[in-house]
Amino acid sequence: MTHAMVKGIVATAVGFSMAGAVAQATELSVWAWDPNFNVAIMNEAGERYTAMHSDVTVKVEDTAKDSLEQKLHTSLASGMTKTLPDIVLIEDYNAQKYLQAYPGAFAAMEKVVDYSSFAPYKVDVMTIGDSVYGIPFDTGVTGMYYRTDILADAGFTAEDLQDITWERFIEIGKVVKEKTGKEMLGNDPNDPGLIRVMMQSAGSWYFDKDGNVDIKNNAALKESLELIRDMTKSGIARPTMGWSEWVGTVNSGQVASITTGVWITGSVKSNPDQSGLWAVAPTPRLTVEGATQTSNLGGSSWYVLNSSENKDAAIAFLNEIYTQDKEFYQKILVDRGAVGSYLGAGEGAAYQTEDAFFAGQKVYSDFSDWTAQIPKVNYGMYTYEADAALSAQLPALLQGTDVDTVLERIEQQLKNQIQ
Amino acid sequence: MNKHKFSRLALYVFLSISAFVSLFPFYWMLVSSTNSTADINSGKLSFGSSLMENLTKLNTQVDLGLVFYNTSKIAILSTVFTLIISSMAGYGFEVYKSRNRDKVYNALLLTMMIPFAALMIPLFTMMAKANLLDTHFAVMLPTIASVFIVFYFRQCTKVFPKELIDAARVDGVKEWRIFVFVYWPVMRSTYAAAFIIVFMTSWNAFLWPLIVLQSAELKTINLVLSSLSSAYFPDFGVIMVGTVVATIPTLAVFFAMQKQFVAGMTGSVK
Repeated sequence: MTHAMVKGIVATAVGFSMAGAVAQATELSVWAWDPNFNVAIMNEAGERYTAMHSDVTVKVEDTAKDSLEQKLHTSLASGMTKTLPDIVLIEDYNAQKYLQAYPGAFAAMEKVVDYSSFAPYKVDVMTIGDSVYGIPFDTGVTGMYYRTDILADAGFTAEDLQDITWERFIEIGKVVKEKTGKEMLGNDPNDPGLIRVMMQSAGSWYFDKDGNVDIKNNAALKESLELIRDMTKSGIARPTMGWSEWVGTVNSGQVASITTGVWITGSVKSNPDQSGLWAVAPTPRLTVEGATQTSNLGGSSWYVLNSSENKDAAIAFLNEIYTQDKEFYQKILVDRGAVGSYLGAGEGAAYQTEDAFFAGQKVYSDFSDWTAQIPKVNYGMYTYEADAALSAQLPALLQGTDVDTVLERIEQQLKNQIQ
Repeated sequence: MNKHKFSRLALYVFLSISAFVSLFPFYWMLVSSTNSTADINSGKLSFGSSLMENLTKLNTQVDLGLVFYNTSKIAILSTVFTLIISSMAGYGFEVYKSRNRDKVYNALLLTMMIPFAALMIPLFTMMAKANLLDTHFAVMLPTIASVFIVFYFRQCTKVFPKELIDAARVDGVKEWRIFVFVYWPVMRSTYAAAFIIVFMTSWNAFLWPLIVLQSAELKTINLVLSSLSSAYFPDFGVIMVGTVVATIPTLAVFFAMQKQFVAGMTGSVK
């Protein structure tokens, strides 16, 4: 055998083995729905992971949220899981619906993932019995964004807004309206978002811990409805229709505050003329038992499909980036305004930055602290059905129907629908 | 006289309102495609100057060429196959007499009552078992035997002069040649009308393609538009330009065949 022949054989063998290595590379597929938010963030996560593990790449498929759910339902219901991705994004309000309706469809991860590093309310959403499914992603931790200049004109300082009840909020609103002519908040009478914020801040929901409908005798919900009614009656709430008008009241300076999830930050900051005029205070509280000053609106999490051939690789990927990589959380906060529910993230530089738009307040550091304290509730399987029943009764409430009657009707309508 | 004038006036008012109601969304779509998202949000109703900007953005976010290729391929192929299969069925039901013909036909018509939601999961399972998921073929297959088009062709065949068939038979023409060389030319406008109906349905199809297509490279224009609009902060300008672009082909098909369409609807055989 000549030297050249040996060389050739070795070269061929090396070539084959390299080809083998390439063939073994894993591509993780992911479904998510917002190209500027969760899709972009998952791509970032994938790039970071591939940089450390060159054999794994991540491919994100951008599908509208409703469409994604439709596809997921069809595949899981028919048991034909071949075309499902390895990882899928599910909204927290809907998580229990999937976990309970399709037992065994999603991979339990409590043996691998350290869930104590996430906000507890978020872990609760994905827990059934002793099993925990999914990796918590973004949070909708709430705060009260307010215009310091408008409130100063009405004679209020930052101190006056730190630790208030919603009743006090309404009183302040009346003074603001009287002295400045501006409303305290914009409110879409068809959107129960603020009611959900109030309810969860007291550790309550449309469903109790066991998932039973809890509306008729729900003290937190009752107080929330009374507050919404009083806000509308007293004229401190500017009625809006739809998302853009609601955000518009803030950007155009028509209202003095907006209380909602942290994801609104980008929209609040979109009018540079208002730079330095905003501040964020904790969410006002209810007066019922268990009331706190933290709540949540929206948010979603990543789930791994049990049917996936790359299940272990998918879990390893999520576990390494989402539960350990603090730098990743700084990057997605700066680039995309995403606040993760990973508690370690708050120590990072991006969270500690003083924001000139909020007159130097470290808003993200505050939000990160609040995230850890959000009360746990059971979103149950039918949050959207409950929302629809509530929305249908809101006009009656605002026209003066007694709150107990309204609650009774909501419970009845919801029960009719889900039974 | 006065009464006559008044009712005429009322008619015009009614028609104007109807015209406004049906045309306004279309007008708004066109206007919005030339405005930025901020302008659209503030309710601007006049044409703006952001058309090119929106188009450029759309073009960077979406591979328009590929998406149009996918959509056209599915729409044209399924239209052609639907017309062939369903017109044969409609023709057969009317021309060939048998004892059970109407029972079968009625059973077919009854299937129109079953909503698609009920068929979706069994169909999906079938496609999965046949290994067809994530192919364009799976999108087209269930639409090809369209009961509505079978019904439409049978109704139109009722006025088709059967003497033509008899004459051809006397001359010894084979059955399939009668269908192709006698029936087809006479029924041209029926085919045109059916073409428009099937093409539009196929072009605008959403739910079924959504469920069976997974790969981004196979997606149709409607699927792409829907994912554009699902962002937490949707770019309405880009979505509207996309919608305009997606509407153009169906408009073109409709206007190109409008005459035949009207003729087909009012009875094709003169």
